[in-house]
Amino acid sequence: MSIAASPPRGAGRLSADPATLATLLVLAALLALFVVFPLVVLLWRTFVQDGQFTVAPVLAVLLQPHHRAAFVNSLWLATLVGVLGTLLGFLFAVTATRAGLSERAVRLLDAATLLSLVSPPFTTSISFLFSFGPRGLVTYHLLGLSGVSVYGLTSTLCAEVLTYFPLAYLTLRPMLASIDGSIEDAAFSLGASRWRMFRTVTMPLAIPGFANAFLLLFAASLADFATPLILAGNQFPVLPTEAYLQITGLFDMTGGAALSFVLLVPATAVYLLQRYWVGRRHFVTVTGKAGARSAIPRVSPAAKLSLVLACVAVASFMAFLYALLFYASIVVAFGANDALTLNHYHVIFTEGLKAIGDTLIIAGIGMPLGGLYGVLVGYLIGRGRFVGRQLLEVVSMINYALPGTIVGIAYLIAFNDPPIALTGTALIIIACYVFRYSPSGIRATVALLSQIDRSIEEASQSLGARSTTTFRRIMLPLLVPAFFAGLGVVFIRSMTAISATIFLVSVGWTLITVRILENMTELSLGPAAAFSVFVIVVVLAVLGAVNALLRRYRATVGGAAAGFTAA
Amino acid sequence: MADRSEAPVGIRLEAVSVRFRHAVAGDVDAVRSLNLTVEPGELLTLLGPSGCGKTTTLRMIAGFQAPSSGRVCIGERDVTNSMANARNIGFVFQNYALFPHLSVFENVAYGLRVRELPRQAITERVEEVLALVGLARYGRQLPHQLSGGEQQRVALARAIVIRPSVLLFDEPLSNLDAKLRVQMRLEIQRLQKRLGTTAVYVTHDQEEAMAISDRIVVMNRGEIVQQGSAETLYRRPTNQFVAQFIGRSNLLSARIVETAGDRIVLDIQGTRHAVRHRAASLAPGASVQLVVRPEAVTLVAAGQPGMLQGAVTAKIYLGDKIEYHVEVASREIEAVTYNAVARGSPEVGEHVGLRLPDDGLTVLPVEAP
Repeated sequence: MSIAASPPRGAGRLSADPATLATLLVLAALLALFVVFPLVVLLWRTFVQDGQFTVAPVLAVLLQPHHRAAFVNSLWLATLVGVLGTLLGFLFAVTATRAGLSERAVRLLDAATLLSLVSPPFTTSISFLFSFGPRGLVTYHLLGLSGVSVYGLTSTLCAEVLTYFPLAYLTLRPMLASIDGSIEDAAFSLGASRWRMFRTVTMPLAIPGFANAFLLLFAASLADFATPLILAGNQFPVLPTEAYLQITGLFDMTGGAALSFVLLVPATAVYLLQRYWVGRRHFVTVTGKAGARSAIPRVSPAAKLSLVLACVAVASFMAFLYALLFYASIVVAFGANDALTLNHYHVIFTEGLKAIGDTLIIAGIGMPLGGLYGVLVGYLIGRGRFVGRQLLEVVSMINYALPGTIVGIAYLIAFNDPPIALTGTALIIIACYVFRYSPSGIRATVALLSQIDRSIEEASQSLGARSTTTFRRIMLPLLVPAFFAGLGVVFIRSMTAISATIFLVSVGWTLITVRILENMTELSLGPAAAFSVFVIVVVLAVLGAVNALLRRYRATVGGAAAGFTAA
Repeated sequence: MADRSEAPVGIRLEAVSVRFRHAVAGDVDAVRSLNLTVEPGELLTLLGPSGCGKTTTLRMIAGFQAPSSGRVCIGERDVTNSMANARNIGFVFQNYALFPHLSVFENVAYGLRVRELPRQAITERVEEVLALVGLARYGRQLPHQLSGGEQQRVALARAIVIRPSVLLFDEPLSNLDAKLRVQMRLEIQRLQKRLGTTAVYVTHDQEEAMAISDRIVVMNRGEIVQQGSAETLYRRPTNQFVAQFIGRSNLLSARIVETAGDRIVLDIQGTRHAVRHRAASLAPGASVQLVVRPEAVTLVAAGQPGMLQGAVTAKIYLGDKIEYHVEVASREIEAVTYNAVARGSPEVGEHVGLRLPDDGLTVLPVEAP
């Protein structure tokens, strides 16, 4: 939807309306302050020294062997994660959409992939240590190996693939599901075997989905901070962790900024590629009334068995990792003393109580703000008619698209000193979450708006309602599902994210995820596991509550209501 | 293409049933113990309202739907247990189902590549067929660059290029506009006759069915209710469903007063009418339904004895004809007059008499509701 493509009716309506204009100005000011300003400061710090333009810091990064290795490693790791994660996601998507499984079995697949979307990003990494570490269950206890090093490319890669492949699944599954069944039937009727049909029809039609999934995973891996921090070790430096160490270890803000910039380039490239190239390439496979899917199974019994077995194997491995995490939280010392204890939970609810309280307060405040922000911005983007609407859309997505490390460092540098000194407050963390994770709500709102006919608003206006009244009485109730979708994502991320906010915590305000990381470095694995279990339980509970609310709302209101996904 | 050597084959469905498990209604029979024979070279249409089982029947012949019981034979071969890709069928889908990522040429070539024909033969046959459907220069286009009618032709070309044993059409014209529909159905018919391939055609449009078919099979609720030529179905429906589904008709309740040879005298709302009818099973005193086509009703001046009397409630001028709705004893009867002039003919509110012909009416036994 571009301005040019839309009819001129109602043009200038929003900007002519004082209430909407005020909203727009407030949002613009907030975006300028919390998105544009930090980024400008980051670039300023990278490229300007003593009022002079310089590329010395960036050159320094590129010339320093360790940093250059980090750059190459990051790209290499991201490529591998992109390829393997896409394949794994494709495996699950094919199984879910083509193996003829019952609805219940498909829901199990969904559940298996949902778990890693709602967990703190490094739960898989922690479990990897538990199973493959020097005293790990698999390596030490089962295989009797000693002196194994779990750290490095392989384990980082495996952990990231397991963490992020659900993104590929969520991209590819609707793609495969939307391929009109009669197109595959047509291949059948022309004599193609099932494998040939899959190879020549299904796969080519899924290519845009592959590209999209690969880029999503590439970006996720490039931005991932927690997994390499725990699993990469010294021999395999990557950019986000290097930038973190540069700042927290060496207090070198300029070096950190320069490293961020080096990370920014590929991240931006991938984002632009995804948004403007892949995002717009898809085959419209439904040319008329969609045909009924053939009652003939899409895969042979043998293929079905292998698909299901492969998925079960992956899901079991993930279940094993989570079970291990839970086990570690209820034994005295994992791998050494298997006596059951609730001591770790006692620890997190006493010593760790402040982190839990802080996190819940921050998530609790950020949640409604993020939901409201998402709906407001989404409404302005989806329905607004004003100059700069596309700019608003792009700017509101920036913090979401950038790796968290960059956002965190930018916030740290920008808000450390007057005029706007926010370091050490809860506000800076809340702002970071709201502006970084609300784009899900914005997208949900825009998607929902595209299903709501404009004439509904015009009907309200024709009856004499002002724009504020129309929004409050007509649009807001219809946008409730998007509001909850946005709010849910902000809550989940407030509970689980770390990459940006690790730079923003202070003595006054800390976070559970940061405490988990501290526990990991202090090797108090029990409390780390207990914290992780706590986070997963809270997130699942809130997610369940939000979904139940939505279901009830949809039952009463009905109609066009977008589903709520955790991504 | 036209000079195909193999003789066309017939299709035989023997007592096929399809049972679907329905979440609310329990088990539902989409097709109920259906027997059907399609003669070699025939174009047979399955006609019926949505949900009558016609598409399910077609998909059974194609192999997209397995019967719960019964046998499907194509030619002498029992194909009940063979998959769609082993039946050598040409299927034209309602939404065309073109491969969106392949060019027109590659779409048509697909079935030939599957059959591993030599490259040269593929090119020749594809070009021949594209010329046949009038798309000779469209080979490089992608499906989405074509209009609906052109996509339809590609779908047709793709189905016939493999020289299928049978051609199957699943409401192929329902996505086209009215004018194109008429043109395409003519083309499909010509092509089928030229190829001589046995064809089964599914539609819910009775006019389309009448225009295209050698034989029409009318289905309702998973069963065949009548089959025959278009004229047979229109002039001699054997049940109420066909009488009302094929063309328009007034169903009048009547009682038999007396029978004499091929003539029977009916009592219709107190007036007596003698009509020709050859069925022997009707005894005096029996209640029957009389099928009266609107064009069989003639409007005359009111008050003539021995005729139904009524008042005109609507008069619709349609160019080649005028359609009247006449209320007779609180029920509405439709009458159509062709080549009439609007002025001078009965107006709304006017009382008229309705004359029924004594021949060409169908008398049906009363059916249980």
